[in-house]
Amino acid sequence: MADFIKNPVVDLLDRNPEPVFSGKDLSFSKDEKAQIMKWVSSYPSKEGAVMHGLWLAQEKFGFLPPEVIQLVADEIGMPYADTYGVATFYTQYFKEKKGDYVLDVCTCFSCQLCGGYDILHYLEDKLGIHKGETTADGMFTIQEAECLGACGSAPMLQVTNGPYVNHLTPEKIDALVDALRDGKMPEFESVTLPQDEDELGGNRRTDVSLTPTYGVCPVSETLS
Amino acid sequence: MPTITIDNQNYEFEGRPRLLQFCLDNGVDLPHFCYHPSMSAPANCRQCLVDVGMPQMNRETRESNLDDDGNPIIQFMPKLQTSCSMDMTDGMVVKTHCSSDAVVRAQKDTLEFLLINHPLDCPICDQAGHCPLQNQAYKHGPESSRFEFQKVHKPKHVDLGPNVVLDAERCINCTRCIRFTSEISKSNQLTIIERGVKNYPMTPPGIEFDDPYSMNVIDICPVGALTSKEHRFGARVWEMSKTASISTVGSKGSNCYYWVKDNQIMKVTPRTNMSVNEYWLSDEERLDCDRFNKNRPTGPTVENAEVSWEMAYKAASDCLTGIDGSRALFVGSAYATVEDNYLLTKLATAVGAPTPVYLAHVEEGHADGWLKTDDRAPNSQGCERLGLHAADVKELKARITGGEVDVLYVLEDDIVAAGVCTAKQLKKVKVILHHYHTTNQTLPAADVALPAAMAVETVGSFVNGDLRAQRLRPAKSIAGVNRTLSMEIGKCRADAHGTPFDKWYNESNLVNCQPGWVSIPEIASRLGHEMQYKGPRNIMAELAESDSGFTGATYEAMGEFGVSLEPIGVTA
Ligand code: SF4
Ligand code: FES
Ligand code: FES
Repeated sequence: MADFIKNPVVDLLDRNPEPVFSGKDLSFSKDEKAQIMKWVSSYPSKEGAVMHGLWLAQEKFGFLPPEVIQLVADEIGMPYADTYGVATFYTQYFKEKKGDYVLDVCTCFSCQLCGGYDILHYLEDKLGIHKGETTADGMFTIQEAECLGACGSAPMLQVTNGPYVNHLTPEKIDALVDALRDGKMPEFESVTLPQDEDELGGNRRTDVSLTPTYGVCPVSETLS
Repeated sequence: MPTITIDNQNYEFEGRPRLLQFCLDNGVDLPHFCYHPSMSAPANCRQCLVDVGMPQMNRETRESNLDDDGNPIIQFMPKLQTSCSMDMTDGMVVKTHCSSDAVVRAQKDTLEFLLINHPLDCPICDQAGHCPLQNQAYKHGPESSRFEFQKVHKPKHVDLGPNVVLDAERCINCTRCIRFTSEISKSNQLTIIERGVKNYPMTPPGIEFDDPYSMNVIDICPVGALTSKEHRFGARVWEMSKTASISTVGSKGSNCYYWVKDNQIMKVTPRTNMSVNEYWLSDEERLDCDRFNKNRPTGPTVENAEVSWEMAYKAASDCLTGIDGSRALFVGSAYATVEDNYLLTKLATAVGAPTPVYLAHVEEGHADGWLKTDDRAPNSQGCERLGLHAADVKELKARITGGEVDVLYVLEDDIVAAGVCTAKQLKKVKVILHHYHTTNQTLPAADVALPAAMAVETVGSFVNGDLRAQRLRPAKSIAGVNRTLSMEIGKCRADAHGTPFDKWYNESNLVNCQPGWVSIPEIASRLGHEMQYKGPRNIMAELAESDSGFTGATYEAMGEFGVSLEPIGVTA
C-alpha cells in the first residue's frame, strides 16, 4: 500500500486475454459437478455457492483465468460478471498463474505498524522480485495482502492460502524460505492472547507450549 | 391511518413506503446517490442518512413514556440510518438535515469522502450542470477537501461497449449501473471488480457492454463516469434546451426529451412515464438524432428546381385540378401525425379520390417485448384509426405500373425506397411529395416536392402500438415564421432559447420546411376547399369530438403523458 500511496495507479484489466484452458481441459468432472450442486442446494440462493465453487476450481486448475471463472458461473447458474467480481475481490483467489508457494505478506494497519513493510521489503530483496511477481524458477510469488485477521501476532504472512507464519523477523523469513525450498511447509501455529487466558479463567489451550504469547511485539523500522 | 413525523411535520401514509422515496415524494429533498426507485436499495453511498426514532414505550402499560411537558419521549437509534433502505412504521419520527445538525454533518462528511478520489474535472465533464454529485456537493458538501495526497488514478476513456464510455476515476461505486444490468435489462454485463480503493465498474474479460439498453446507465449514473460515445463532449447541458416529447423510431412512443443546441438535436434522453417506458429508453431511440439534422432539404422544388412556397403550393394545386379522382392515389404516412393524415384524407375526399392508404414499415423480429417494436413507424395505429389501411405493396405496384394512376400524392414517406415502384416508373405520373430528406428516393420523380417538418419540429399527435395517444412538441425551430409553432415552443421549452429576443436565439441550421397542417390547407385552399383550423390543437379537438376512434384525445387530455384510447371495433 505504501507504494500505492506514492504512485496510486490502477491499471485497466486485460479485457481480452488469451484463454489458458480450453476444450476437454476446461471442464469439471462428474464428482466435482455433484459437489458444486450440493453446495448450491445448501444455500437459500444459488449464488451462495460461489466462493466454494471458485475454491474448488482453483484447487483443480491452480488458478482462475476468466474462462475458469465462466465455467464456475455456468455450473452454479449465476452471471459470469458477478462471479468475476467476487473472484477479483479476494487476493486468495489467484487470477493468474502463481509460484509453487505464494507468500501473502500482510501490510494492513497492525502489521504495518509492527514492520509489515520491513518484512515485505526484506523478502523482496531476498528473492529478487517485487510483490506481485514470481521468481524465475517458478517457486515463489510475493503478494501484499490486507488484514488476514492475525493482527495479534503481527507482522505475519500466509503461505499459499494455508498456514500463517507469525511474529515475523528476518531470521524467520530466512528459515521459512529455506524450509520451503526443501519442500517443507510450516506447521500450523496456534496463538493465544494474554487477555484470552484471563477471560477463559486460566484455561490455556493444550497447544500453548507452541505459542510465543508473551514475546515483545516488533516495531516497524519504516515507520519509526 | 399510520403517521410519520418528518422535521416536526406530520404526514399520513399507506402501506410500507421507503423513507427516502416518501420524503422525495413529499418535497423533502434528501440527498442520495445509489438509490433509484426502480431498483433494489443496497444503501452503499451513505448520503441519505437521517436520524430516526420511535416513541419510547412503557413495557407494562404499552403506552409511550411522556416527558415533563407531556410529550412522548422519542428514542432515537444509536446511529444515523440510511433512509433509502428504511421501511416506514407508524409513529416514526425522522430528522433530516433540515432539523438535525448531526445529519448535516454526516452529509457533509460523506461528501468529503466521496470527493477524496473524485477527479473534479467538472470543467470538461459532460455531466457538469446536471450532476447529482456536483449539485449535492454544492448544497451539502464541505467548502474544500482536507485530502492532501495524490488521488487514485483509474482507467479513463474505456469503451465499455459500442455506446458507453467509462471514466473510472469519476465513479463513486454506487452500483446503479450494475444493478441496471442485473435487475432491469438482465444482460448481467457489468460488475464491480477489484476491491477497496482500487475498485471500478467493468465488464468481465471477453464481454462487451453491448446491451441494447446500455445507454440508460449514462443517465442513472449520478456522476459523469459513464458517458455516451456519440454525444461525449458534444455540448454542455446549459447550452442545450430540452423539450418533452416522444420517441419516433418505433410504435412504442417512449416518452423522451430532445436536447437541442443551434437547432440540432444533440441527444435524446428518457422522460419518465410509468404507463409507457417507465424510466428507460433503448439505445436505438437514444441514438435517433442524425435523422433530424442531416440531409434536410433546403426548400420546396418544382421539377427539381427550387421555388418559393407560394409557387410550390400553386404547382401542387394545379396537379390536382381537373383530375379524375378515381385515378388519383393518396398515400398517407405512419411517420406523419394524426392531424396531417386527417387533413390528407380530407384533401383526398375534396378531389374525389379514394381514402388514402399508408405504407407499413414492419421489421419482423425486431421487437423485444420491451421498448423495441416490430413496427418501425410511430403512428400506424393513428392511421388505422383514421380509416387509412396498410397498402398491399403488390397491388399498389400493379396499379402504378399498369398506368392506372395519374396523380400520386405522398405524405412524408418514400414509395420508391419501399419497393412499390422505381422512380422511372413514375415518369408519366404527376407526383406530389412531402419529404423529410434529400435522400428520399422518390424525390427525383417528384413534380412538386414540399419539405415536411419532422417529429421534432412540429405539433401533433401519434397513437402508439398500445393505443395511447400522445403529443409531439416542437423541440427545434424551422425557417420562417409560424405563430402556432412559436407559441408551442415558447410553452414547452422552459428555457432561454424560445424567442428571437433573447441572447441564446440562434438561426443556424433552420430547415426550410412546413408542417403538414400548414402545407395541406394551403394546397386545399387553392383548390377552393377551405380548411378552417387555427392549428393542430383544433384539428385534434374536432377529431376527439367527431371520430369515435379518438374520443377524449384532446391536447388538454393528452397533456404530458398521453391518454389511452379504446380499442377500435369495441366502440365503433
Ligand atoms: S459508473 Fe456511475 S452508475 Fe456505475 S457505479 Fe460508478 S457512479 Fe455508479
Ligand atoms: S493487520 Fe496484518 S493480520 Fe491484521
Ligand atoms: S441512497 Fe441511501 S445509501 Fe445511497
